[in-house]
Amino acid sequence: MSMYLILMNKYRYAFIGVSALFTFNVIAADDKAADPLNIHGFIAQGIIDVDDSNFVNNDGEISTELTEIGINTAYQLSDDFRFAAQAVYLNGGNRYSDGFRVDYFLMDWSAYSSEQWQANVYLGRFKNPHWLHSSTRDIPFARPSIILPQGVYFDGLRDIAVGGDGGGIKLTYNNDEYGEFDFNFSRGKSPISSDAGEVITGDLAQGDIEHELDTQASIYWRPVFSQWQFGFSLLDSVFNYESESLDLFADGRFDFQFYTVNAIYEGEKWEFTTEVFQSRFVTDGFYVSQFHQDNLGQGGYFQTRFKVNQKLTLIGRYEKYYSDKDDKKGYQLEDRTFGKVPHYFGFQNDAMLGLSYDIHDNFRVNAEYHWIQGAARLNPIVLPNPEVNKEHWEVWAIQLMYWF
Amino acid sequence: MVLVMLIGSPITHAVDVITNITADTASITTAQLRRIYSMRQVKWANGVPITIFVLSSTNLTHQKFCKETLRLFPYQLDRIWNKLTFSGMGIAPTIVSSMDELIKAVKSTTGAIGYIENINEVSDVNVLNIDE
Repeated sequence: MSMYLILMNKYRYAFIGVSALFTFNVIAADDKAADPLNIHGFIAQGIIDVDDSNFVNNDGEISTELTEIGINTAYQLSDDFRFAAQAVYLNGGNRYSDGFRVDYFLMDWSAYSSEQWQANVYLGRFKNPHWLHSSTRDIPFARPSIILPQGVYFDGLRDIAVGGDGGGIKLTYNNDEYGEFDFNFSRGKSPISSDAGEVITGDLAQGDIEHELDTQASIYWRPVFSQWQFGFSLLDSVFNYESESLDLFADGRFDFQFYTVNAIYEGEKWEFTTEVFQSRFVTDGFYVSQFHQDNLGQGGYFQTRFKVNQKLTLIGRYEKYYSDKDDKKGYQLEDRTFGKVPHYFGFQNDAMLGLSYDIHDNFRVNAEYHWIQGAARLNPIVLPNPEVNKEHWEVWAIQLMYWF
Repeated sequence: MVLVMLIGSPITHAVDVITNITADTASITTAQLRRIYSMRQVKWANGVPITIFVLSSTNLTHQKFCKETLRLFPYQLDRIWNKLTFSGMGIAPTIVSSMDELIKAVKSTTGAIGYIENINEVSDVNVLNIDE
């Protein structure tokens, strides 16, 4: 009897499968396709306080300028074509211009699909998929902290870095021996509103910044059944500044190249993340017509998260950034500007501790404290303001978020 | 009406994987299941699109399925799904509120996949044999 049960157990799945195959035509008539329409959204509101910098506001008071609201829809037009769009409202004070934005608006063509390979082509306005958190930087519950590491995710360049209008390709490959590979490539142009331009250049610059087509690529690799994932990304971008007739600034061109390398370990309790980068920023003109500067900036962060239990996660992170690797303390910058720009505008280091608590399904609170030294990632980036920005400054923030 | 009996069931089951019968498969590997749930394989071998139904990530069956069957932690899948949903790059599984609802959805949706636990009898679905 026991042998009978063992055999039946062994072959029950085969029996079930064969039975099911024979009945395919009978049951298929009752089946329906998955719902083609999906709607999701989120709403988050917080309070933030910054002392000794204009990161959020100029008066140093506690601020409610920490609002992020979004709604998105996706519609499956056919097996291979899908439409997706998201609109967001963001208010981050001085961090970026506040208001509504069409975050993405794209057509996704599933060009090829098999058990090993997937190829998707995206056309329209797409999110930047290349850095670890670039596509979810405004999604409060899908990023690790309220304020992301400013070296990579500089809020002043948010509207440029968040995505673009153009096209992208995503290729995924699964190999049972070597693991999972993702390859992303995109060409696009970011529309820069006059408000967003003012965040970068300040209100003294009267002209407009325009973004030429940029090219980005990234590769990610996760070994078979591994807790680790590794990736790197490349970006090449050009911006032009067109001055007005009564402008304090001249026409200018900014070449920006950005390379990142990242790694993640995702354990049951512990999680480790690092993302390091080098950026090349070439400035021609702008300050005066003959001006030329070619800086190599570097930075990176190490972050750890510890899941205390199902609801509570602690986070700690340390980040370093300097805008010129040959002037890490910024003293050459201070000399070059005859002392008008203090040396601490050449770097920015951030030590952060925080927590995340799930109050209920889809309802979370994040809280964090930052101790920051340096002011290299404060707006307006091209016109440092030493009046309000000190070398040492601190931030605390609490944000409640709900999503569906 | 087809009735499929799970024979010789012990007192407690591991989590079993079920599919809509249009999925046209009787067995699956752990690696393939991971690919499907991490949205890296979106169609079955016969070309039918895969639709995934899951319970909430706080549900114990979901957690058991993630850790023991997929060898992933629920937060890893949440992260992948949120990234796809809120960047427009893909779609995430549909979350249902109970096991009954999940079984019903898998039965009635072309190409659907889901899981069951401690259920001795289920009809009109494939119960897959999981190969290592």
